[in-house]
Amino acid sequence: MEKMSRVTTALGGGVLTGRTMHCHLDAPANAISVCRDAAQVVVAGRSIFKIYAIEEEQFVEKLNLRVGRKPSLNLSCADVVWHQMDENLLATAATNGVVVTWNLGRPSRNKQDQLFTEHKRTVNKVCFHPTEAHVLLSGSQDGFMKCFDLRRKDSVSTFSGQSESVRDVQFSIRDYFTFASTFENGNVQLWDIRRPDRCERMFTAHNGPVFCCDWHPEDRGWLATGGRDKMVKVWDMTTHRAKEMHCVQTIASVARVKWRPECRHHLATCSMMVDHNIYVWDVRRPFVPAAMFEEHRDVTTGIAWRHPHDPSFLLSGSKDSSLCQHLFRDASQPVERANPEGLCYGLFGDLAFAAKESLVAAESGRKPYTGDRRHPIFFKRKLDPAEPFAGLASSALSVFETEPGGGAMRWFVDTAERYALAGRPLAELCDHNAKVARELGRDQVAQTWTMLRTIYCSPGLLPTANLSHSMGKGGSCGLQLMNSFNLKDMAPGLGSETRLDRSKGDARSDTVLLDSSATLITNEDNEETEGSDVPADYLLGDVEGEDDELYLLDPEHTHPEEPECVLPQEAFPLRHEIVDTPPGPEHLQDKADSPHVSGSEADVASLAPVDSSFSLLSVSHALYDSRLPPDFFSMLVRDMLHFYAEQGDVQMAVSVLIVLGERVRKDIDEQTQEHWYTSYIDLLQRFRLWNVSNEVVKLSTSRAVSCLNQASTTLHVNCSHCKRPMSSRGWVCDRCHRCASMCAVCHHVVKGLFVWCQGCSHGGHLQHIMKWLEGSSHCPAGCGHLCEYS
Amino acid sequence: MREAVLTWCVPLELLCSHPLPVSAFLKTQVKLHTYRACAGKDEMGKMVSVINTVDTSHEDMIHDAQMDYYGTRLATCSSDRSVKIFDVRNGGQILIADLRGHEGPVWQVAWAHPMYGNILASCSYDRKVIIWREENGTWEKSHEHAGHDSSVNSVCWAPHDYGLILACGSSDGAISLLTYTGEGQWEVKKINNAHTIGCNAVSWAPAVVPGSLIDQPSGQKPNYIKKFASGGCDNLIKLWKEEEDGQWKEEQKLEAHSDWVRDVAWAPSIGLPTSTIASCSQDGRVFIWTCDDASGNTWSPKLLHKFNDVVWHVSWSITANILAVSGGDNKVTLWKESVDGQWVCISDVNKGQGSVSASVTEGQQNEQ
Repeated sequence: MEKMSRVTTALGGGVLTGRTMHCHLDAPANAISVCRDAAQVVVAGRSIFKIYAIEEEQFVEKLNLRVGRKPSLNLSCADVVWHQMDENLLATAATNGVVVTWNLGRPSRNKQDQLFTEHKRTVNKVCFHPTEAHVLLSGSQDGFMKCFDLRRKDSVSTFSGQSESVRDVQFSIRDYFTFASTFENGNVQLWDIRRPDRCERMFTAHNGPVFCCDWHPEDRGWLATGGRDKMVKVWDMTTHRAKEMHCVQTIASVARVKWRPECRHHLATCSMMVDHNIYVWDVRRPFVPAAMFEEHRDVTTGIAWRHPHDPSFLLSGSKDSSLCQHLFRDASQPVERANPEGLCYGLFGDLAFAAKESLVAAESGRKPYTGDRRHPIFFKRKLDPAEPFAGLASSALSVFETEPGGGAMRWFVDTAERYALAGRPLAELCDHNAKVARELGRDQVAQTWTMLRTIYCSPGLLPTANLSHSMGKGGSCGLQLMNSFNLKDMAPGLGSETRLDRSKGDARSDTVLLDSSATLITNEDNEETEGSDVPADYLLGDVEGEDDELYLLDPEHTHPEEPECVLPQEAFPLRHEIVDTPPGPEHLQDKADSPHVSGSEADVASLAPVDSSFSLLSVSHALYDSRLPPDFFSMLVRDMLHFYAEQGDVQMAVSVLIVLGERVRKDIDEQTQEHWYTSYIDLLQRFRLWNVSNEVVKLSTSRAVSCLNQASTTLHVNCSHCKRPMSSRGWVCDRCHRCASMCAVCHHVVKGLFVWCQGCSHGGHLQHIMKWLEGSSHCPAGCGHLCEYS
Repeated sequence: MREAVLTWCVPLELLCSHPLPVSAFLKTQVKLHTYRACAGKDEMGKMVSVINTVDTSHEDMIHDAQMDYYGTRLATCSSDRSVKIFDVRNGGQILIADLRGHEGPVWQVAWAHPMYGNILASCSYDRKVIIWREENGTWEKSHEHAGHDSSVNSVCWAPHDYGLILACGSSDGAISLLTYTGEGQWEVKKINNAHTIGCNAVSWAPAVVPGSLIDQPSGQKPNYIKKFASGGCDNLIKLWKEEEDGQWKEEQKLEAHSDWVRDVAWAPSIGLPTSTIASCSQDGRVFIWTCDDASGNTWSPKLLHKFNDVVWHVSWSITANILAVSGGDNKVTLWKESVDGQWVCISDVNKGQGSVSASVTEGQQNEQ
């Protein structure tokens, strides 16, 4: 036959070519089937029955099998199947229960061959035997399956499923005599074609109707079933009891399922409701479709792989009256679109990072690791350890720690908890905070605090006293110590700190500030002029902008020395002396605040740079004396706060704001302050530092912030006279019209803290009650109750 | 006999310091625990080290992991359709909940601010957004939003100041905004065609009030300007702003990427009121967008780095000074802006800081 030869050439060519394409049908399709030559496809529907040739660029209508003037119900097809051995032979299942066979080899226009009118209701499925040319099987809504021999006029045998409608019948590829049928009640039956009396095996596969099934094309006894329960299950039928191998969950009920040729674990599904897409699943990865075809605008009713050995062409027919050829290459792959990584910055600067493991596995072999027990074991999970393969995915999730420099937030919590913001003189607060910062290794911040102290707390007469004191004590032993602390990498900070210690006191004058800058100058000069033993970065490491400003001030003020010029020289040794040897009593308390001093002693250093720096130091010290008011620095302080805020250290900005209070508040935009406050409070609350947060709120000068405390808390108050809940807002009871919170002592309304006795419910101003109860144990209201204040 | 007497003079502020229920206050004395197993540099001087590996028992790829507001719980979501919540305090990992309800891969999860209770939103390939809520220790589905026609790729809760508002970006190109109106009701607003082909990420701007808070009459809600950023398959980042009438309007279109934008992250506003947005894309580029002027109209991009692979995520540290970037090579790098305004990788091997990028391979090696 000439047709035959053409087919062989097509197959002999070996390669199918084509592209993703579609053509419009005149009517919705119900089913499609491909000719074994992979070049023709038949489309059947309620009012369509056509054969299309699949060409490279398009579908070409080849034959319309729906002939005759009046449409017959016999032509209303629910299913169609093309014989896999004889491409002239087709069978259709009609909605009226008729099974029709078609012979394309007939010369007449009407190709109808045989008509079997044995089923009483719609025939859902027809199926040719894969190897036997004349055997046709049908499954119907009436619950029966029939086997036809095309050489005879009627069915050979009838199989009764003993249950509801048959949805699908499929001959096994593996066993000559076996076929599987699926039912609306969720059962799958396995029949021997020779034994119509009863089924070989029956099991419940799905919850609800099983719409379809498909034997695995490779001879392995796997049967895939799809049901209304949105699942596709893969069964191993070779074992005594059908064993569920895989289960794929889809979005909608599964109408058709087809194994993908040449891909052991892939199958294609489509749905009859809701979902218009065709999915190709890897059964081992049951959650995400491997590929997805989204061409159809209505539900897909029929799918067929174009060639039994080619995995890339899929044909489909749809209710949207179109026929499509899909190329696997063009499929959208949700897996590819999926984000393989999750990343989250945690509160404490730790990172949670989840990543696809196949990526990880690929790299893991490179560097052998020598085992660090401190790292916990990395979690890995494989779905099927026995069969590792690339397509599968699982992820590893780790939490990483970043070090303080990298963003760990431990310091934040510590700092927040330990900072002192109020309740002590400014100088002490600064000292304390500087100390805290230094202990936490935040040298820059510590230094800022000490500088603030020197700027805003003037030493008054005290330093002078110190100086003279040190003059007396200043000895050669001091030099070495002084040097040692110069060499500390945080030299600038320490320098100013020294000054601080010395200048404890609240009297106002600017000497200390000047001292501080002088110290800085010392250090700088030290580096510039000597350079010998000083680490190159010791100065630049942590100095902020304002330091620079201070240096700059220096040259302009080079003036003749004053008599006092020697004093600073002793100032340094003094401090160390105090630590080393029992100091003068007036310094004792100060030292307690700076434990780091002892640390600096540990460093041993050369004496060389000391002298030169000393001379410079003395010069500048003398110069600045009492010339610059703190206001001079307000701009710098403002810039500094902005700097910190910009760095993300809003904690510093707010702390300084609070500590300095009025001194800087006017220089900074109200809104910015508010923003800092709210940011900081928000952070504190994230870290569950309620107390600190509360303190900050209380200390804040911004009204918007301080009113935060008054939000979101309900206080239920009962009238102390009639004991009814007070509903109105004020302090006057609605019922008894008396003021509820009168002080029993002074008989005025109490605003603010109100203390009362639970026994007699009398109370009043905290102060008044306390005072009263000191002298008497009776209730001040005169009710005779013995109140007690504890 | 004397009766027991009370002195009740706890300063009110102490109790009202926080919008959380008072019960939260009770926890204040409990010490905060961190869950890092090792601190300090190891012999290799790593900046970042694995401190915890979470056995998630997810059966498929994990797409997102989010820590809650207090950093104590970790929510993960996976292709296996489940969302899991772990308690990760003290370096432990206790599975608290395994939430099933999605019918497709779950792409992203987002924690709501704790002042609304324990609420988690998840979005999935199945076109649904589910809002989960913990009640009496058990997690349950509290709301399901099925208003999208395609995969929902991203969810993000608005700053708590606005109330409970969730933005969802979907592959159908739309962004929907769910607002809780009380009693289990959610109001939905939808921005159709926000991004052609699809929206991949949404991120809210921190709450900033125009003008001073002080001007607000007390008791009334401040007049916030709500804004968020979205990134999509049209290679664009768009900024959206709520108009006075409650409608959402496109405010800005930021154009710099040459391929799908995979993630956008609006930096938390700590410190200065300048706005910063980080974005990453399929094209391997990460941009930092900044807007200095108050009107918010001029955004300038700065290229952080061009990676050789897709960059999937960008995530800001809590103080917004460090940006974590994760790319297709499975490495996480940390970036910080230097004093001169350049972004530098603070965890780069070549920079002599020691090794660092928190690559998963390191973790893997640990196992061996």
